[in-house]
Amino acid sequence: MAEYEKILLKNMEQPGYSGSLADYEQAGGYQAFRKVLNDMQPDQVIEEVKKSGLRGRGGAGFPTGVKWGFIPKDHPGPRYLCCNADESEPGTFKDRQLMERDPHQMLEGMAITCFAIGAETSYVYIRGEFRLGAKILEKAVQEAKAAGYLGGNVLGTGRTINIHVHAGAGAYICGEETALLESLEGKRGMPRFKPPFPATHGLYQKPTVVNNVETMANIPHIINRGGEWFAGIGSPPKSCGTRIFCLSGHVKRPGNYEVPMGIPFREFIYDVGGGMRSDKPLKAFIPGGASAPFLTPDHLDVKMDFEAVAMAGSMLGSGGVTVMEEGTSMVWAALRLMEFFYHESCGKCTPCREGSSWMTQILQRIWNKRGRTGDLEMLDELCRNIAGRTVCAFGEAEVGPIQSTLKYFRHEYEALIREAEATMPRSKEIPVMTH
Amino acid sequence: MATQATTKEMVTLTIDGKSTSVPKGTLVIEAARQVGVMVPHFCYHPKLSPDANCRMCLVEIEKMPRLQTSCSTPVAEGMVVKSSTSTQAQEARKSVLDFILANHPLDCPVCDQGGRCDLQDFSHEYTATTSRFKELKRVFQKEYFSPLIETQMNRCVQCLRCVRYCDQVMDVKALAPVGRGTLTEIKAFGAHELDCEFCGGCVQICPVGAITSRLSMYEFRPWMLKRTDSVCGYCGDGCQITFQTKNNDLIEVNSTQGSGRNNGDLCARGYFGYHVSEHPDRLTLPLIKKGNEFQPVQWEDALELVGQRLLDIKAKHGADAIGGLISGRCTNEDIYVFQKFMRGVVGTNRIDSSVRYGHLNGVHALQRVQGTYRWSVSFDDIVSADTLLLVGTNITETNPITGLKVKEAVKRRGAKLVTIEALETAIGTISNIVNLAQHHLGVKPTGYATAILGLLKAVVDQGLLDGEFQAKSPAYFNDVSARLQALSWDSIHGQTGLASDAFKQAAQVFGRGKEVVILVGPGVLRAAGGFGMTMNLLDLLLLTGKIMTPGCGLAPLAEENNDQGAFEMGGTGAVLPGGASLGDPEARNNLSQAWGRPIPETPGSSLPQMIEDAQQGKLKALFIVGENPLSSLPPSSGIHSALEKVEFLVCQELFLTETAQQAQVVLPASSYAEKDGTFTNTEGHIQSVRKAIDPVGDSRPDWEIFSALSVMMNDPMEYEDVKQIGKEIRNLFPGTRTLGPAPLPAQPDSSSIARYVTVDYQRDMATRYQLPTNTTETEEITLQVSQSLFHSGKFSRKAKGLLQVEDRGKIYLHPEEAARRGVGEGDTVKVSNSLGEVIVPVGLRERIPQGVAVFPEHFDEEVRRLLPYSIDPETQVPYYKVARVHFEKLARQ
Repeated sequence: MAEYEKILLKNMEQPGYSGSLADYEQAGGYQAFRKVLNDMQPDQVIEEVKKSGLRGRGGAGFPTGVKWGFIPKDHPGPRYLCCNADESEPGTFKDRQLMERDPHQMLEGMAITCFAIGAETSYVYIRGEFRLGAKILEKAVQEAKAAGYLGGNVLGTGRTINIHVHAGAGAYICGEETALLESLEGKRGMPRFKPPFPATHGLYQKPTVVNNVETMANIPHIINRGGEWFAGIGSPPKSCGTRIFCLSGHVKRPGNYEVPMGIPFREFIYDVGGGMRSDKPLKAFIPGGASAPFLTPDHLDVKMDFEAVAMAGSMLGSGGVTVMEEGTSMVWAALRLMEFFYHESCGKCTPCREGSSWMTQILQRIWNKRGRTGDLEMLDELCRNIAGRTVCAFGEAEVGPIQSTLKYFRHEYEALIREAEATMPRSKEIPVMTH
Repeated sequence: MATQATTKEMVTLTIDGKSTSVPKGTLVIEAARQVGVMVPHFCYHPKLSPDANCRMCLVEIEKMPRLQTSCSTPVAEGMVVKSSTSTQAQEARKSVLDFILANHPLDCPVCDQGGRCDLQDFSHEYTATTSRFKELKRVFQKEYFSPLIETQMNRCVQCLRCVRYCDQVMDVKALAPVGRGTLTEIKAFGAHELDCEFCGGCVQICPVGAITSRLSMYEFRPWMLKRTDSVCGYCGDGCQITFQTKNNDLIEVNSTQGSGRNNGDLCARGYFGYHVSEHPDRLTLPLIKKGNEFQPVQWEDALELVGQRLLDIKAKHGADAIGGLISGRCTNEDIYVFQKFMRGVVGTNRIDSSVRYGHLNGVHALQRVQGTYRWSVSFDDIVSADTLLLVGTNITETNPITGLKVKEAVKRRGAKLVTIEALETAIGTISNIVNLAQHHLGVKPTGYATAILGLLKAVVDQGLLDGEFQAKSPAYFNDVSARLQALSWDSIHGQTGLASDAFKQAAQVFGRGKEVVILVGPGVLRAAGGFGMTMNLLDLLLLTGKIMTPGCGLAPLAEENNDQGAFEMGGTGAVLPGGASLGDPEARNNLSQAWGRPIPETPGSSLPQMIEDAQQGKLKALFIVGENPLSSLPPSSGIHSALEKVEFLVCQELFLTETAQQAQVVLPASSYAEKDGTFTNTEGHIQSVRKAIDPVGDSRPDWEIFSALSVMMNDPMEYEDVKQIGKEIRNLFPGTRTLGPAPLPAQPDSSSIARYVTVDYQRDMATRYQLPTNTTETEEITLQVSQSLFHSGKFSRKAKGLLQVEDRGKIYLHPEEAARRGVGEGDTVKVSNSLGEVIVPVGLRERIPQGVAVFPEHFDEEVRRLLPYSIDPETQVPYYKVARVHFEKLARQ
């Protein structure tokens, strides 16, 4: 099996590594920050990150350096950085590991980013359920402050860089960057329409960069070893660097694995992940978190990079790879995900709010052998009327599972409906969900 | 009126094939409306920032990949927009309606919105007749929400207009969406019943029947209602209202979006207070007192008696033994005919009106300094001001719609607000204007004079003076500056608790302003020294060179709906209709010629003067129209003994008030809902009042009664109809000509100003520019009797809707002040001073400063006894709203 150099997980895989400031410094931590403060201008930092080809690791995959470049230079400020630690995509658990096991890596990345974009105040918006992670981060922030890496006059340069840890309260939608900003401002976490974009009108309508935890964790390494070095790893020019992919489902060794982008799914699932857990073959897999459309065994040779997965009709997304073996009902899988989306829909816009409820009810009926002819056409039409009509990408996300399972496994739906029509008396045609 | 100096950049675009040019920044949906393309929408509203949540307004825009929400997309040069000509957009609308109707109940037969519902209208236009939703609808249990506002959350379409209106326009934030997804419902922000300003804004703005009025619940269907546009009869804001009546019965009141000076916004009084006119206690027949009881009689008998007695008293004691008092609630026509009757038929100038209670301080100050009796600014200037100073206004409770203009200026347009108010910043159930201030100077109700001097001193100390004006009037500038410099910051601090820095920062903000409006309200106008304080505020505008600048000015807030009109129509005896002084021979001549009657030579008398004269037996008869001085004035004014001495008291009224009960004759008058006429609002804008229901019982419009009386007194002064009166007024006084959509603010007169800064200012400079002597003992509380948002005088106590929100008086304290004295919500306390004592329950309010207690004037029957009485030396305005009191906790009942 191929051995890949670990960059992000390197420290935490050393035996005895505690994640403390002392350990982090011993492993070479905060050198990049010193380099940036002493030898570099903010513009140079942005250039270096642009050169690296780093793309956001949260799910959208937007080029990070380009995003930083959108912050207007002539704005009186203040400017903000928000680190999106609201990891809630089902099947994704990489940020949690990064925060709990090596918090300073991400904090150093944040400090460098603040320098680059001219922000004095930054926030880590961490999902409320990560209570341990928040405690660890809080402690790390205090350590960094005591050592002079954060606070007023960082490392004697006269600059102020502060990081505040802010806990969410259990809403998936607050991982959407504008909903995150609303929640951070103390309001109900509902997305804003774009444009305007956070780069010009973000937190408190000031220029703001929102970046994922893993994205931040990459920054010190890019500074230390250069953007060119980073761009040489993975699948340049469009998908550079490594990613921590989260493998889950019916495999022998589920977990977080850091591999260069571009290795095929087959290698990831079978070599790195140890393959299927039993003798049942692979039936389907989700390549990038619950929002990503399902893929089939035909796609096992697709490369794990942004372009290849998009060409295959799905998305690399958050990097959560969930594997399903033969025997898994695809209708059940779609229903399970749909129930998640129904539960998490913020309710702001009509198509997602009503559509998620409607589609979940149809799926529940179908799964419970109460489906009807016309249900599948209804699902198709509902999906068409939701995607592209919503305030945020949640609309596209929630139709992903249904559309892709209908595409590849329509026969399963049809079989359940046939069974329903044959066995269910008309008088018992009662919907199942009671909210 | 201030106008934007820069020309707006225009953008040309095409919508459904129609080309148009609109200012840059216009939203596509607004541009569409301007060319007659109505884009369906739920969540968009011109008063609110776009939310783009309903997705109903999706349109097709060339070169943009997806359908775009036209409510959140600004126009761009050359844009090609397709709305009704786009099949994609039409299908999107159909699907949005399918989605909304999925969970919408079939409530139309029992829903008050049915017939005026956006969802009904759009469904009719866009959807098929059958729904394809064959699942379970989500159902909310109906919960009691509040006494006046009802919610039925099954009908909600989650457009969030109510939440956004309450937040962005009202600044109350009483409503919030609770729950997620399809389980989102609108509830009070906090796990309790709705307790808010009850402005009715959420009811008006809800596109469906999710939020409705409980007051008129189930009483009507919209197509059964007859609509009458009129003006509210409560406060000086003068909001456009539409009476909705059915079978001569008042069903509800609302205001058309975008119309009137209020732009379609209302307050609790306007929206829920209309039942006053239909209260069962309304007088329906004239009454004559026989012995100790009132006998109902016919109009002829009553009028004959009144006419006869007045003629008798005139013959025996002279015309000046008769006095008149008229309410600023009456229409301009009523007041004009009254003063014409009193001057021209009875033959006396002894008339006064409710203007005397405080509004006169504002008007008189404006006249004295800038030669106008109206504002030199309008609500539009308040909205477009860059700096606003509010002094003693308590604006949310006294003039809520003017308050909305202040909120709009600050929240939507970034104006800087400086407040000098007897309030603390605090979040409460109603909005609190000082929360929006950039600099708030919190004072006690007795601290306004010192605070105003402090602000003036800070302006002078920091040289924020207008150099040009200073050069032209050096004596005035030097005199004022010297007096201000003579005041010590220590003394100012001692009296207000505010350090010099607070004043200096506020002065900086004020001085930097280019379009500055000062609003002054009853906290100053009705407080001892109110006239002097108002004059000092005009000095502030003079010193900073703002008084002649367009868009700048002093705006005294009128309390009653037609106080401004009462002044303009000559309701205060020493002022003739049209604003000229009684002592002006040319004005008297012209009027006398026009009337064909002589104007009496004797001077006018104020109400305080009439009280004194009555006590001395010099006033034998009093004709009171709509006023209730026994209830308005405290016993310390001597009103009781005065009225006892009056031989012949006639009250023309809606109800048998305390004063009317003392009368010999009571004449039933019609309310503002039952007659035509005009009101002049606080801006000086004249608006039409229209009859919505027939006069109750045998009541008559006030002017008709005066006219009939004149006939009885053999000196007929007859009018065919209200229009004829209006015509007479307009022909006499050019300033009354405008009945257009917006007022024409008065122009300050430079010769008046010149006269003031050379000679006139010296008259009372010394008293105005010295610090008041303060002798407060620490265990004393400053009691302020003032207006509540939910009431207006005693008039509103006949409105059953308003009584459901506030039906009794409590003495309101800051929670810490209460705790210090060992009392809590609901405890009773004995409040006393040298004038008397009273027992009242306690209420807690965080916005009330410590050391202060507030009692609503509408329930002050007992509390009035504690109020001392004094009169302004120049304007004769009586001051009786503030008292120093002791508190004593009583055992819990």
